[in-house]
Amino acid sequence: MALLSAADAEQVRKLFSTMTSDVHLRLYTQRLNCDTCLEAERILSELSEQSDRLKVEVLNALTDAGRREADGVENVPALIVGDGSHGRIRFYGTPSGYEFSTLLTVITDAGTPGDRLEKPALDFLSSLAEDLLIRVFVTPTCPYCPRAAVTAARMAAASPRVRAEIIEANEFPDLSRRFRVQGVPRTVVNDLIYLEGALPEAAFARGLGLALPLLAKGEPVDMAALLSKPREEEESAGK
Amino acid sequence: MIGLVAGIVGQPSGPAGRRDVVIAGGGPAGLTAALYSARYRLSTVVLEGYQPGGQAALTDRIDNYPGVPGARGHELASLMRSQAVEAGAEIVPARAVRSVHSEEGFATETDSGTFESPVLVIATGAAPKKLGVPGEERLYGRGVSYCATCDAPFFRGRRVLVVGGGDSAVKEALHLAGYASSVTVVHRRDALRAEPVLASKLLKNPVCGVIWNSRLLEIRGGDGVESVLLETPGGPRELEMDGVFVYVGRRAETDPFRGLVELGDDGTVVTDGTVRTSREGVFAAGDVTGRELRQIITAAADGARAAAAAYDYLQHHPAAV
Repeated sequence: MALLSAADAEQVRKLFSTMTSDVHLRLYTQRLNCDTCLEAERILSELSEQSDRLKVEVLNALTDAGRREADGVENVPALIVGDGSHGRIRFYGTPSGYEFSTLLTVITDAGTPGDRLEKPALDFLSSLAEDLLIRVFVTPTCPYCPRAAVTAARMAAASPRVRAEIIEANEFPDLSRRFRVQGVPRTVVNDLIYLEGALPEAAFARGLGLALPLLAKGEPVDMAALLSKPREEEESAGK
Repeated sequence: MIGLVAGIVGQPSGPAGRRDVVIAGGGPAGLTAALYSARYRLSTVVLEGYQPGGQAALTDRIDNYPGVPGARGHELASLMRSQAVEAGAEIVPARAVRSVHSEEGFATETDSGTFESPVLVIATGAAPKKLGVPGEERLYGRGVSYCATCDAPFFRGRRVLVVGGGDSAVKEALHLAGYASSVTVVHRRDALRAEPVLASKLLKNPVCGVIWNSRLLEIRGGDGVESVLLETPGGPRELEMDGVFVYVGRRAETDPFRGLVELGDDGTVVTDGTVRTSREGVFAAGDVTGRELRQIITAAADGARAAAAAYDYLQHHPAAV
């Protein structure tokens, strides 16, 4: 049975029909020790039938080890999505449930010209002096998650300094443990800045601006706590 | 596998500006108001905020929405959303920050620009209430959660506490029972307030237990929840616990409308019994009002009434458009 219902397929075709350039999707899977790889392959294969703009490549993480290393892929299934010029946005795990709408959004973004972020976030990105790795932990049943994941992906698309990893927390218990995920969405930036919940993109950019100067201490930084401080205090903390 | 949710997330909002009807809130009340309003051929924008589908989308299974037995909350919400869009409503990810009355009607400031309109529908719903006990805020996301649908899988084989005795508490306790090794419900009374069908399911579930006439005093733990301190009829009692899910009611999200319309002591928008508020041209729908029954179907019904009232209002105040 198809994963996409006829009505959903129709909706996806309509969405994709607005794209004006090709979108490249590179999926790494393997046959052994990967319960969800087949499912990821099926989702991608059904998706690719909905538009000629999607250029899909399925690689074997074991036999195509050279490519995998070049892409810096550490887990499977891994899906790298972009306009072909970069590999800064990736999904670890099966993009099902709400995460599927995140994937559709990231694909449509990549295939359509124009800025996806508004000015405050773009200003923040253009002032970035360091590289960011934004990990967003999600589950397929979490309706708040796409917002957090899409914001991270849009930042990665807009700046060569930013990479976004959208991680299905259930599928990677070791990663979830390492970054102490007990609720989603949980965003972890450069291993130390963390945020529970989804924020409007401008607030997220502001929170990053406040948190980054504190990273030098090497201690975890709670972004929500920074943002809840009154403005004046916050401005001096950001300096 | 939970299926695929097709749809697009947070497109950048179209230019803010003037519409016939601005609807704050994207749950069943707001989406139904949008559907009706768009079908009245009024230019309509929904300020969806950051919780598409509202509380409905967070409910795993819904058994009392007629015509759709066994609905999944997020599916129902996403159907309502696409139906409103098909009808011509615009849905933007903006969140209302403040709404004021002006000569031209209402100006609703959001985090993505200001929307003006002669008519405003408040449908911002309600958010989970916090308990306000020590440890709750510090351990949020570290074992303390308000969303079992989101976070249940992290408690596979572990012990969780559910606080509350209403429909939501019992529904979510049953959802958690599919993952956790034990689900302890702590309730301050000696009987559940939840509807009988749900209550008896809970009482029969071998994974679930209830501690009656008790309340949670403190959530303890270093980097995660380790134990909870309860006040019970037999005195204080500490229980080892891995997670705490709080369902002790909801608080109406009305801060942006303070000063614009009359609010009740509990923060809900005061209405005339249907959708009219203390200010002409402003209507309220769904859980944001103080109505006795807070269900998806009553929210949707309110939404339809609010749109009809908006249409009627614009007919009688043509100068407002």
